[in-house]
Amino acid sequence: MRRGLLLFLMAGVVVVASLSIGIETRAQTKMPRMNFRERTLKNGMRVLSVVDKSSPTVAINVWYHVGSKDDPDHRSGFAHLFEHIMFKSTKNMQAEMMDRLTEDVGGNNNAFTEDDVTVYYEVIPSNYLETLLWAEAERLSGLNVDDENFKSERDVVKEEYRQSVLAPPYGKFFYILQQKSFSSHPYQRPTIGSIEDLDAATLENVRKFHATYYRPDNATLIVVGDFDPKQLDDWVDKYFGPIEKPNLLLPRVQTKEAERTGEKRFTEYGANVPLPGVGLTYLIPSEKSEDAPALTMLDVILSQGRSSRLYQSLIYQQQVAQSANANADLKEDAGLFELTAIVAAGKKPEDAEAALRAEIKKLQDEPVPAAELEKAKNQIITSQLRQRETNLGKSQSLGGATVLLGDPNRVNTELERLQAVTAADVQRVAKKYFTDQNRYVFFYLPESLRPASGSARVQAKGVYAK
Amino acid sequence: MNSSIIIRNRLLALLPFAILSLAVFVSAQTPQATPPPPTAPRTVQFPRPVEKTLSNGLRVVVVQRSEMPLVSAQLLIKSGGEVDPADLSGVADMTAALLTRGTKTRTATQIAEQIEALGGSIGSSAGWDSSGATVGVTSSRINAAVEILADVIRNPVFKDEEIERLRRQYLNNLKVSLGQPGAIARFAAARVVYRDAPYGHPLSGTPESLPRIKRDDIARIHGMFYRPDNAILVIGGDMTPENGFALAQKYFGDWAKPATELPKMPVGNPVSDTKNRRILVIDMPDAGQAAVLAARSGINRGSPDYFRGIVSNAVLSGYSGRLNWEIRVKRGLSYGAGSSLDTRRWAGSFSASAQTKNESGAEVASLTLGEISKLATGDLPDKELTTRKASLNGGFARGLETTSGLVAQVSSLAVYGVSFDQLNQFVGNVQAVKAEDVKDFAAKHLNIDSTSVIVVGDAKKFLPALQKEFSQIEVIPVGELDLNSASLRRAVSKN
Repeated sequence: MRRGLLLFLMAGVVVVASLSIGIETRAQTKMPRMNFRERTLKNGMRVLSVVDKSSPTVAINVWYHVGSKDDPDHRSGFAHLFEHIMFKSTKNMQAEMMDRLTEDVGGNNNAFTEDDVTVYYEVIPSNYLETLLWAEAERLSGLNVDDENFKSERDVVKEEYRQSVLAPPYGKFFYILQQKSFSSHPYQRPTIGSIEDLDAATLENVRKFHATYYRPDNATLIVVGDFDPKQLDDWVDKYFGPIEKPNLLLPRVQTKEAERTGEKRFTEYGANVPLPGVGLTYLIPSEKSEDAPALTMLDVILSQGRSSRLYQSLIYQQQVAQSANANADLKEDAGLFELTAIVAAGKKPEDAEAALRAEIKKLQDEPVPAAELEKAKNQIITSQLRQRETNLGKSQSLGGATVLLGDPNRVNTELERLQAVTAADVQRVAKKYFTDQNRYVFFYLPESLRPASGSARVQAKGVYAK
Repeated sequence: MNSSIIIRNRLLALLPFAILSLAVFVSAQTPQATPPPPTAPRTVQFPRPVEKTLSNGLRVVVVQRSEMPLVSAQLLIKSGGEVDPADLSGVADMTAALLTRGTKTRTATQIAEQIEALGGSIGSSAGWDSSGATVGVTSSRINAAVEILADVIRNPVFKDEEIERLRRQYLNNLKVSLGQPGAIARFAAARVVYRDAPYGHPLSGTPESLPRIKRDDIARIHGMFYRPDNAILVIGGDMTPENGFALAQKYFGDWAKPATELPKMPVGNPVSDTKNRRILVIDMPDAGQAAVLAARSGINRGSPDYFRGIVSNAVLSGYSGRLNWEIRVKRGLSYGAGSSLDTRRWAGSFSASAQTKNESGAEVASLTLGEISKLATGDLPDKELTTRKASLNGGFARGLETTSGLVAQVSSLAVYGVSFDQLNQFVGNVQAVKAEDVKDFAAKHLNIDSTSVIVVGDAKKFLPALQKEFSQIEVIPVGELDLNSASLRRAVSKN
C-alpha cells in the first residue's frame, strides 16, 4: 500500500453499509473528525495543530514543499542528501543534536524525502514541545555544516543507495521502472539519485538549496498531541515568528510530462536476479484530479489482501507469480499506475505480462461487482483507523492534506470522496488510462539471458543514473 | 510498493510513541542559543490485561483500550518452528500458513474474501516458540472475525492442492531471500549459533527440506500441538473483558482437550565458546554490498539477566547506540548498524549487523567486535546509560501505542509465561539497571573471543583485509551453501 492512501483518506463520521456475507447486521464505524486549528504567520509559515491528550506525547512535523523533483541539474538525489544534512550542525546546534533532544529523552525523530515533499518529524514526551520547536526553528533558520560532516553523511547516503538499489535482487528493477517511465518530467530521477551525482554535490549546493527552498513560506508546521493551544501559539510566535521570508522567487517545476503516444517495451538485465520481474506502468493524472479516488480504488481492488484480483489470479489460480502488486502512485504532477510481478519459477515473463493485462481488460470490460467495491471501501476505512491510532499518523495525514492536496479540510473529506466512488467510475477510469498507447512494459532478467550480440556487461555500480 | 519514499533511517522508521524524560541538558551559553528546558513531565499507565482460563484449558487474555474502534485477536499455539523434525525444516510454519488456506466449510479464497469484506485482515504463521493466526477488524465486526479465527485454528483441512501451492510459494520466496546478502547472513548465523539443535534451521524451510514435507507431517504437527491446553487467545483494543470472555467461550468453549499428554518440547541451549567460534565468509561475487554479522549465544526469555541484557543491547543498538554511532555517524560506512538480543524459551542469541560496501567488510567487522568488546572492558558514563535507557523505554511505549502493537506485546508475555505486571514495571526494571550490571552482563554473555563473525558478499574485495584480523577463515561459495546442517557446506557429491 502506498503511503498516499494512508495519508490522505480520513473522515468525519462514516456509516459503513452492511456486509455482503451477512454474518453481522448493519454496523457503524465512526471516525472522529480531526478538529484542527490553522494559522498562518506573517512570514508565510502555515501552522496546523490538533489537541489529543490521550497520551503525554506530541508529534511534530515540518513539511517543506520541495522534493526530489527539485534536485538541481546533475545532482540527482540531492534533495534527499540535503534531508540527511539537516541533522547536522546549525548556528546553535551541534551535529546530531536533534537526536540528543529526542532519542535521549525517550522520543524519536526521522525524516523522509519524496518526489514532491521533504518531511521532518519528532515524537517526544509532551514536556519537550518547546525544546523541539526551538530546534526546528533553528534548522529552518540556517545550517552551519562543515566539510567533514558533509562528506561523512554523503557516504551514509551512498551506502543507502547500495542497500536499497544494489544489494536487494529487485532494487535496480524498481529504480529503472521509475527512471524510464517519465520522458521529460524530473520525476524520472529516482529520489535516491546516483553515486556519481552524489559525489559531485558540494557544500555550496547545500547552502544554495537551503536558501532557495527552506523558508517559512515554503514550510508547514504540524503539532498533534498533548499541549495547550495558547501556549503553542506563543512558542510558535517566539521561535518561528522572527524568521524572515526571503525576497527571492520560490522556483517551481514547470515541466509537464507529455502524454504517451504508444507502447514502449524495455528489457533490462541484472547480475543477481533470482526470478524475472515484469512491470507495466501507465501515466495517470495528479492526485488533485477528479479521477484520483477511482484510481486509488483500482489499487485496492487489484492488490489489497489475498482476496484481491492480482493475488487470486496470478498467485493463487495461475501460480504464475511469486508476488504481484498494483500501486496508484499519485503525485503532485503526473503519476504512475504500476502493476508489477515477480515471475514464479518455471514460468515466463510473457505469461505474467499476459496475466496482468487480462486483469486490466476485465476491469475495462465489466463493472466491479457491488460486494467487491464495498469490500475495498471497508478495507480503506480500517487502514484509516489504523493510521489514526497514533499522533504521528494523524500529523502525517494532516500534512498530506495540507501540502499535497492543498487543503487541510481534505483530511476530513477525503474518505467521503472515496466512499462515493461507483463501479461505473472504476470502469470508466480503467478504460481511460489503461490504454495500449499509455502502456510501458518492463522485463527485468538475469544477466545470463542477455543475448550474446548485446553490448558490454552492465557495470555493477552507478550506471543506471544517466 | 513505495520506491519513491526515502527515509533517514529505516531501522527507526515510523515507530509510534511515548514518555519518559530523564535526560539532563548539557550546555548553556547565551539564552537564545540554547534549547529551552523541558516543562514538568507527565506519567503514563499502560492498560492492564485481564485473563481467565476456560474449562478446556484455553487461556484467554483481554486488554482493553477503546480510543479507536479497532480490535485485534490472536490465537497462539505455544509451539513454533523449534518443533520441526531435523529433516523437515519449515513444517511448523507451513502448518500455520495452511490454517488460512481451507477449512471444512471454507475454501482459501472464501476465508480471504470473508475477512476482507469486513475490512479486516487475517494472517497465520509460525514463529519461534509460537504459531497461530491473527485477525484485525473494526470493533463492530469482531464477532464475525473471531468466528473465522476459530474455524481456521480448529478445522483446517490441509488439502493436497493447497500444500503444493504453498510449497511452490515458499520455494520461490526462498529463491528471492537467497539473493540477498543480509538474509543469507541471518540464515547462516542461526546455524553457527544453534548448529544442529532446534532454532538452527530456517523457519520457512530450505530448498531441500520443503519438497520432503508431506501432508501427514503437517497433520501430525496440527494434531500434536493445536489443542486448547497449549493455546492462548489474546484480544486487544476496543473490547470489554466481559465481551471478550463471552466471545472466547462461544467460539472456543467446545474445543475439546485431547486425553493424551501434551508432547514434551525440545530443549537445546548451545553455548558459544572459543572452540566453536567461526569466522565465516560466504562468497557472493555479484553482491551489491557485504552483510556483516557477529553472532553468539545469548540468554533465554526467563533469564534473571533479562533486563540487564536488554539495557546492554540498548547501549550498542538504536540510532545513537554505539554501533550506529561508530559505523554510520562517525565513519559513514553503513546506512545503519545495530544489534539484537533474541530471547527465546529454551535459548537465546545475540547478534550485531550492518551492510556496507564490499570493500569495507573487514573494517565493519572489526568495528562491530570492538564495540561489543568495549562494553565489558570500557567505561559506561552515567549520562550515556541514562539516555540509552530513556531510548529503550520510549521505544517500548511507542510499541504499545497501536492495537496491534499492544496485542503483540501482551502475546509475547503470555507465550513466555511472564507476568502481565511487567507491562507497567518495564520502565522501573530498566531504570534499575546500573553501569556495573551492563559490564557484568557483557563479561558473562558477550565475550568476543567466542563470538562468531559472518560476512556475506564479494569476498575478493574484503577477504585480504579480513585475513589480517582473523586466522582460520572458512570461505564457502554461495553456490555450495547448505542450510541443512551446521557445517553450512554442501557435501561433495558421491555420484
